[in-house]
Amino acid sequence: MKNVPMNLSHQNAELEALQARYALRVAAALSEQAEGIDHGVSERLRFAREQALVRARAARSAAAAPFVSVAGNGSATLSMAGGPRGSSPWWFRMASALPLLALVGGLVLIQSQHVRHQISAAAEIDLDLLLDDLPPAAYGDPGFVEYLKTNRD
Amino acid sequence: MATDKELSDFLRSVEKRAFKRTAYTVRDEDAALDIVQDSMIRLAESYGDRPALELPLVFPRILSNATMDWFRRQKVRTAVVQNFSAFESAEEHGDFDLLEMLEAADGYAASESASDTMSRAQVLQAIEAEVANLPTRQREAFLLRYWEEFDVAETAAAMGCSEGSVKTHCSRAVHALATALKARGIAP
Repeated sequence: MKNVPMNLSHQNAELEALQARYALRVAAALSEQAEGIDHGVSERLRFAREQALVRARAARSAAAAPFVSVAGNGSATLSMAGGPRGSSPWWFRMASALPLLALVGGLVLIQSQHVRHQISAAAEIDLDLLLDDLPPAAYGDPGFVEYLKTNRD
Repeated sequence: MATDKELSDFLRSVEKRAFKRTAYTVRDEDAALDIVQDSMIRLAESYGDRPALELPLVFPRILSNATMDWFRRQKVRTAVVQNFSAFESAEEHGDFDLLEMLEAADGYAASESASDTMSRAQVLQAIEAEVANLPTRQREAFLLRYWEEFDVAETAAAMGCSEGSVKTHCSRAVHALATALKARGIAP
């Protein structure tokens, strides 16, 4: 009774082996035929291969580009571009924040200079008023103000 | 990461077979060359940073996708569907005996030189034509399995189907080829 399944299994294995042998002979014929393709086709395939290599190089350099632009100077560029991706992320993040920090610092400096200039200008006016022979209360008198306007005209 | 040399060597090793496989499918040499070039560029751009060992497994899938894209662009998907259904006629050979046929083919090859009836070039062209006439999925499975020498699992992964389907496609492809070539009096 066990011989029947064993025979079937044996036949299947034999059939698969024959199929594979036949298929490999066909494949060998296809390889032989493929080796004889036209020179024009070979040249186009060579061109396609070269184009693909150019694209591969471009893709690799595009992936490395952020490191180059952030680095800033020549020596740093060389050292960073060769390193593995993400080797010092905190360093690059800090470097990219530097321009923003410089901008904010500059604005704060300008604002403080402007305020200081306004204070010194007001102090000069106050000093002139206090040192003048005319008392400051005179500027509150309507008649004196009218007199000043008339003289200016 | 694959180096330029590894990528170049890989592309050189597969380009002719890739061209032929595509030409069998689209039946247009210029289109096949465009598709192979497109596939090479896709591989280089998207998988150029992968290890070289992965490239042989990825490229067939890219080539198949590029071929399907070409068919979509050409709006000839109906032709593909017809190819898929063309296998139905092969089912009629219910009592087909491959063992007997293959043994007969061996005997034929031994007793009759190919030069008696046709040149070797004509034999190769006829074999190529019959491979091109196979239904698309059978041809893909057959070529990946026996021409690209993928194992069943790799073929299934490249074709996006089960291993059982690969075995079925391959078996039917061999039966169909054997029948067609025998009818032409050709033993590969």
